[in-house]
Amino acid sequence: MKRVVTVLAALLVGGIVLAGEPCLTVGMIIGGPKDDAGYNQAQYEALMTLKEKMPCVEILFAENVPEGEAEAVLESMIQQGAKLLFPAGFGYMFPALNLAKRYPDVIFMHPGGYMLADNFGTYFSNVQFAYYLLGVAAGLMTKTGKIGFIGGMPIAFVLGNCNAFHLGARAVNPNVTTYFVVTGAWVDRAKEVAATQALLQQGCDVIGSHLDSPIAVAQTVEAAGAFFVGYPSLAVQKFCPNAWVTGLGLTWGDFFADIAQQVLDGTWKPAHIRKGVEAGFITLGEFGPRVPEEVKKIVLEYKEKLISGELQPFAGPIRDQEGNIRIKEGEVWGPMDMGKFDWLVEGIVGSPK
Amino acid sequence: MLSKVTTSRWTYATLRLVFTIVVILGVFGLFLFILGRDPVKAYRDTISANLLNPRGLSQVLVRMAPLILTALGVAIPFRAGLINIGAEGQFMLGALVGTWVAFQSQNLPLTLIAGMLGGALWALLPGLLKAKGIVNETISTLLLNYLAPLIVGYFVFGPWRAPELAMYPQTPELPEPTRLSLLFGTRLHLGFFLGLFFLLAYAYLVNRSRWGLELRTVGGNPEAARRLGLPVERWIMVAMMVGGALAGLAGIAEVAAIHGRLKMAISPGYGFMGFLVNWLAFANPVGILIMSFLMAFIASSGFTLQITQRLPYAAVNVLMSLILFTVLAKPLAKGVRG
Amino acid sequence: MSWFLSWISGAILYAAPILFPTLGEVMEQRTGMVNLGLEGLMLLGASVSFAVSYLTNNAWLGVLAAAGVGLLANMVYAWLVVKRNAHQLATGLALMFFGIGISALIGKPYVGQMAPTLPKYAVLGPTSLIFRYDLLVYLAFFLVPVVWFLLFRTRFGLRLRAVGESPAIAYAAGVSPEFMRFFVAALAGVLAAVGGAHLAVGITGTWSEGMTAGRGFIAVALVIFSRWNPLRAVLGALVFGGAVVLQLQLQARGIGVSAFILDMIPYVLTLLVLLIWGRGVRYVAPASLGRVYFGTERG
Repeated sequence: MKRVVTVLAALLVGGIVLAGEPCLTVGMIIGGPKDDAGYNQAQYEALMTLKEKMPCVEILFAENVPEGEAEAVLESMIQQGAKLLFPAGFGYMFPALNLAKRYPDVIFMHPGGYMLADNFGTYFSNVQFAYYLLGVAAGLMTKTGKIGFIGGMPIAFVLGNCNAFHLGARAVNPNVTTYFVVTGAWVDRAKEVAATQALLQQGCDVIGSHLDSPIAVAQTVEAAGAFFVGYPSLAVQKFCPNAWVTGLGLTWGDFFADIAQQVLDGTWKPAHIRKGVEAGFITLGEFGPRVPEEVKKIVLEYKEKLISGELQPFAGPIRDQEGNIRIKEGEVWGPMDMGKFDWLVEGIVGSPK
Repeated sequence: MLSKVTTSRWTYATLRLVFTIVVILGVFGLFLFILGRDPVKAYRDTISANLLNPRGLSQVLVRMAPLILTALGVAIPFRAGLINIGAEGQFMLGALVGTWVAFQSQNLPLTLIAGMLGGALWALLPGLLKAKGIVNETISTLLLNYLAPLIVGYFVFGPWRAPELAMYPQTPELPEPTRLSLLFGTRLHLGFFLGLFFLLAYAYLVNRSRWGLELRTVGGNPEAARRLGLPVERWIMVAMMVGGALAGLAGIAEVAAIHGRLKMAISPGYGFMGFLVNWLAFANPVGILIMSFLMAFIASSGFTLQITQRLPYAAVNVLMSLILFTVLAKPLAKGVRG
Repeated sequence: MSWFLSWISGAILYAAPILFPTLGEVMEQRTGMVNLGLEGLMLLGASVSFAVSYLTNNAWLGVLAAAGVGLLANMVYAWLVVKRNAHQLATGLALMFFGIGISALIGKPYVGQMAPTLPKYAVLGPTSLIFRYDLLVYLAFFLVPVVWFLLFRTRFGLRLRAVGESPAIAYAAGVSPEFMRFFVAALAGVLAAVGGAHLAVGITGTWSEGMTAGRGFIAVALVIFSRWNPLRAVLGALVFGGAVVLQLQLQARGIGVSAFILDMIPYVLTLLVLLIWGRGVRYVAPASLGRVYFGTERG
């Protein structure tokens, strides 16, 4: 009798232990808070979708991690058994690469990086191309012919988004002027509000942004009765229900789950993965209450053309603000050229520096 | 009360140090408890991750390195009667000037010296203003703290931006000879040993040399110092510059060892933490060593506990302030009316 | 011309959050206390006001709650400095850390949430975007002459300033320096927290960690800039507010000056003012501040 009980107990304990054993431990660090209705939230939500789709995965997560601490925090996750890590902030690339050299059996997936290693891959959405669609919407919705764009810092991806925004608007409204303003920080609520007000006072009635979190901009636009296009998370819509036209959300949940499965199956390979609307890496949001049906139709048409490849937002000839040809006739810039922007398209008011 | 029991200055200082440490650990535990966490498990988690684990321990030491230097950056002016809250800005200016020289010279010692010069220069202005009786150094160093990252930002975004990194502003990687090598396969670097070296120099020079005596006289009683013929204004400026130099060294060391390039996000508040270390240690060299270790340990715990206990990192700031409040309330001294 | 007007209107708006803590600190320093913890008080006010506004769906309740919390927090400072003779500068910094940390903890569940903000009223010109402010902005500017009057035209103000000039003599004249300092610290705590609350539920309608971006320290500098006189403090606040707005307005006009250079303007200006007018400061400052500022204050 005693032996039976012991065996049963052992089986029970063993069962509990086995049931408690995760199939994979996945870690992520982000540089800001996970509920910023912006970039950090998009990363966090993707992680949560991964967990939903693969319940046996154990998640390790840290937010507000400064860059100088990234290596140490990631390393402590490795020591807790993490085999797949998402250093989900551009500034973490070098610390993560250092770590990748030391831990060849851990896989690292970095957003927007430009280096690869045997165990280090990168991913991002082709935002600039999708932002063209927001420009189309803006060009159709503006009554004043002036649209505004607020960037955090004047880096290539931000400039690229503003350029796409402008080109898209001009495609449907050739006299549109785009005003470009930079706050100098990825997060500074007071400046974001002041920037929005400066644009509104200039006469812009559709505003887009590339910040970590567009909440302050959205609220200011809503209060002024103008229009807003959202990026990088669709969660910001609730802050501006009337001003909302449409938006772009970075949506990597399914992709993360695929990667995790690849790691489990042993089929993962390092690559720069850049996909767009067609693969679900970026999602066009629903339309707001003040958007007329014809506008919706046109935007969706453009979206189809983007998915099919018929639409190439950055096909030459395209000139910069001084009139120089930057993209020649017949030349087309693709996803891997997006790091080359240090200029703004003609017709944009603002400085790329 | 306590000072009546023992007349030995050493014993009193040691008791005060021990008391402070006990307070820190006790408050930490109480604080965790209030936040609904299990203090015992938290202590176990963080001790095993950051003390017993060699990698974790080495990371604590890595975090300690800039703290020792910035604490000295506060301690030396402190002995001259000055409050240097500008270590944060001096740190960044040291990183800035050091980076520039690194690219020009490709030479490590020059880079480090340049870092010290950068920090010293940034402290010179407040020192000058204070010596001339125009502006108190507290205010001027605070203001300069805000200017420093803006200056670094201007360079990192503008003239020094690495072209291939158009996506994210930072300088190109520092030339190989100027990188501080990481030792023993850990992240430990020369900066740590430089910190120890200067700590020893501080302990000897300030407490046992004639210069130190002059410095301390200026700090203890400037009027008497003046009457004794000591060049008070000059000492004020020298003290600030030396303090700034050490904070600047911390800055360039962090860049050369940890980051490898200049960017805006190089200090998570090392300047302010150095101020705290100095305060908790009462400018005592042994105290600085112990307190910077404890601070680094607390900072490391902040990250460990964020992962294991979902404790927000902000809790560390609260903890530091509670410790400071406790120490400032001087619970051991009886009559404190002044 | 409308460019100028919109700049002025923005300057007034962004001057308000700085004006509140500056007025409080003028009073504190006039009693001989230097409080470097204003940044912490402002952040406390910002986070509490946003949280309470979210929970009660009423922004004014948020402001009230912030005022209460600011008052209590500054009592810690006052107790340490008055009763335990703690070093004022270090105590202020401890308060700063405290505010930074606690506000992050309080505000954490409310990051990325929406909460009611203060309604805006126009005084000049009807429906335009400019010159429409919430009541706190009007209050800030209204308080300036009030504080001036209090300090320089009332018996209470006389007693307050006496404490700052010489606590011993004030005591001999029947004033309690301790009571005065606690009282003023309470006022200053309220004011600084309200300044932070204005930033959260007045201007931005959000909370994020550290959102005051050093305004608490600028306030301390503005106090010296203003020679401890509320009327001159307004000027400093407007300069600061104006610089914040100017940078963005210039950009919106395509004038390409580096954002960093423009950002430096308020700090450089403050330094310049201190340099140019600072020489006589020693003789204008409340005398007992001399212990703190000019060298003999020891912990």
